[in-house]
Amino acid sequence: MNGQAARDPVILPTVIVVWAMVLLFVLYPLSRLLFLTFWNEGPSLDAVRGLLSDWTHRRALVNSLLLAALVGVAGTALGFAFALLAVRGRVPTWLGRALDAVVLLPLISPPFTAAIALIFALGPRGIISYHVFGLTTVNIYGLSGTFLSETLTYFPVAYLTLKAVIANIDPNLEDSAFSLGARRWRVFRTVTVPLATPGIANAFLLVSAASLADFATPLILAGTRFPVLPTQAFLQITGLYDMRGGAALCFLLLVPALAIFAGQRLWVERRGGSYVTVTGKVGAATRVKSLSPLAITGLGVLCGAVALFVLVCYALIAAASLMKGLGADHHLSFAHYAHVFSGGLKAVRDTLIIAVLCMPIGGLFAVVLGFLVARTQFPGRRALEFAAMMNYALPGTIVGIGYLVAFNDPPLAFTGTAFILVVCYVFRYSLAGTRATTAVLAQIDPSIEEASSSLGARRDVTFRRVVLPLVRPALLAGMTVLFIRAMTAISATIFLVSLSWSLVTVRILEGITNLELGQASAFSMLVIALVYLAVVLASLAMRRLNAGSLGQAGSLLGG
Amino acid sequence: MVSTLRLFASVLLVLVFAGPGLAQTVNVYTAWPESLSQPIFKAYTAKTGVQINFIRLSTGELVARATAEKNNPRADVMWGAPGDGFAAAKEAGIIEPYKAATAEKIPAELKDRDGYYTAVSKNTLIFMSNAKLLKEKGLKAPTSWNDLLDPAFKGQIQTADARTSGTALTRILSIYYAFGKDEEKTVDYQKKLHKNVQVYTKSGGGCTVPASLGQTTVCIAHMPDAMEAKKKGYGVVVTFPKEGVAAVIEGVALVKGAKNREAAVKFIEWTFSKEMQDLLDKNNVYMLPTLPGASIDADVQALMKEAKLLPVDLEWVGKNRKRLVERWINEVIRD
Repeated sequence: MNGQAARDPVILPTVIVVWAMVLLFVLYPLSRLLFLTFWNEGPSLDAVRGLLSDWTHRRALVNSLLLAALVGVAGTALGFAFALLAVRGRVPTWLGRALDAVVLLPLISPPFTAAIALIFALGPRGIISYHVFGLTTVNIYGLSGTFLSETLTYFPVAYLTLKAVIANIDPNLEDSAFSLGARRWRVFRTVTVPLATPGIANAFLLVSAASLADFATPLILAGTRFPVLPTQAFLQITGLYDMRGGAALCFLLLVPALAIFAGQRLWVERRGGSYVTVTGKVGAATRVKSLSPLAITGLGVLCGAVALFVLVCYALIAAASLMKGLGADHHLSFAHYAHVFSGGLKAVRDTLIIAVLCMPIGGLFAVVLGFLVARTQFPGRRALEFAAMMNYALPGTIVGIGYLVAFNDPPLAFTGTAFILVVCYVFRYSLAGTRATTAVLAQIDPSIEEASSSLGARRDVTFRRVVLPLVRPALLAGMTVLFIRAMTAISATIFLVSLSWSLVTVRILEGITNLELGQASAFSMLVIALVYLAVVLASLAMRRLNAGSLGQAGSLLGG
Repeated sequence: MVSTLRLFASVLLVLVFAGPGLAQTVNVYTAWPESLSQPIFKAYTAKTGVQINFIRLSTGELVARATAEKNNPRADVMWGAPGDGFAAAKEAGIIEPYKAATAEKIPAELKDRDGYYTAVSKNTLIFMSNAKLLKEKGLKAPTSWNDLLDPAFKGQIQTADARTSGTALTRILSIYYAFGKDEEKTVDYQKKLHKNVQVYTKSGGGCTVPASLGQTTVCIAHMPDAMEAKKKGYGVVVTFPKEGVAAVIEGVALVKGAKNREAAVKFIEWTFSKEMQDLLDKNNVYMLPTLPGASIDADVQALMKEAKLLPVDLEWVGKNRKRLVERWINEVIRD
């Protein structure tokens, strides 16, 4: 079918439509922004010159890379420990589920919540640091706090990725090693770890990329002593009224972001995506002995402590939402929820409408793109894939400003509508679905589709009747991710909310900056509840589709 | 499948073309928190039937947005944001001069010389301290800029980041005017202050929560932040430095090319009427009204007796703001 695709009566128009959309909603706003940055009554490198002369900018680049590396290592290590415990620790099912539920918390909660909870818990007068340990000099602002908060937020990405990887390592391989007389540690080192290595590398890159683009955590916790690029770009635009400089900073961030993405592609490509087996259960139910009881206990203590800490953080948020003023007036009060369900209801409703609208549109786009990339050949296929993922790799601030600049004037005057928010999410977050689609397709023999074609079905019929049903899990995963992202994203949308369409996350940010902490907490709790509901529904649906579990959707969140 | 798609297409079309196109509306960008601005906007709607659509954004976000929307403005009025934002807006060419009928009565230092913007209120800088922590450390609430340099306050002061917050600019200006308009002394003082700063917060009121909860002893912020904390029952003390403080002006301006110009102008006229200026007091805004004769909150009035307000030259601020902030970035916080 290669080569013919370009002349296929269905594929060709599809390719053209997808290209047109990517051009309009990814490349056009980006080019407008590039123009704004590098064209000031003629080509200008002023913005770049500003970058090099300002120490905060230079330091921000170094800090961003350092933070991404540290969070990547710590997040992956922690994720690996959780995954080992979950898969090989022989924990009871209910405990495993409970662990999953706790671990998912930071991943699905709105931005800022982890950072705020951390201030409550470990701040100079935090519940843990001061009231439990009596410490008064803890400084969580700067590298340490940002690192801790980001690690807590993003290690679940590594966990969910690695859990799938470890679960798919055939225990028979380990058993063979044991039967050859190897000790536990040796088996672990020479069999388990090497088999998990691609997964580990992938997890590291996913976590690093998430840290690199994170804007909310450093905004709260990094302070002036530890500038990082996304926050710096935001500050440049909003504080110094310097859009040109801010955009230039974002482009600086693009280099490591794309490097990580390329690195990840390389890993996945080299392994042909085959280390995640979607179907087919591994060997016989042998008793895996690769972890000693002592190791399991150690992992249990570590993971238990981390899970407990996460729970404490979120319990603080829950408490803040139910008290008049956490820290001062601890009387039970439903006033914050009353506000959420009166004055804040519009934001909740708007957010839900947009999130629900995103799902079918983004899901379909993701699957079609994934199909085009994985199953067809046409000139510029690679370029299309690359272009489509640009908005994902770019920091949200730049996407938001780019959209604002590009879509404010007729005939493309979309600002102020829900449409622009939907488009922003679809083109920013459907990559997860695309990736899931290509992964699923990689494990399905093309001959199934060929059979359909040879029986005389047109390509669109084949797509609808054969491909779509096969990639249903990917579609579902992609839609779930889109829903979660639409419910929790902030950096891009802060510039896109409008008089008619507001979003919950923006209200949360407002609450945090305006002393309405109880309100912000109540909004956060509501978002967490809604997203949990969605994730549970999605994982039930997945189980019905017999296509793995929640982990699949979860692992896509980081990517 | 096809019918679902058709449904979504039609939903999208409705969303694209159905803006807030109702008869009498004014679109407002404000930096005031909803709790302060909404009662005032509601009062206007109740009086006139004109709907006020508003978005709350930080000053910088507000200016960035309005600048990006320059060719097709979405807002009609910029209402309630610090003066430096308006200076930037004037420079970016996104607002146009408009003088309300009562603007004549408003003192010259509270409005732009060319009439681009006028202050709806004056927002005083204050020191807000956590009473319990002061007691624990055996400290007195600071009553001089120099008190803040006491090593006892090391890591105990939070205040706003000059890159994001108008409050930070008010702080820098306060120091500038308090130290006899000597820029070198201003920078030097800030370097010393920096040693005691725990964290610079994104927003001006960002240190209110930490100071209220006892995460930090002193918060340099604005009057409404402290009054709200008090109102919420937190144990905080408000003091002023004897050398004096500046007050930020909260501006109001007409957006250039405003789509609902007529309604916007009426709303601005009302903003500077005694009726509205009295609302600041009635709605616990805790800022000083700019129209002479308007009523002032009793608590604020009592507190202001101790305050020495330094006159600020808006013209000078407009020209020198960027340099002051850049010196703060490049000299003060560099350690």
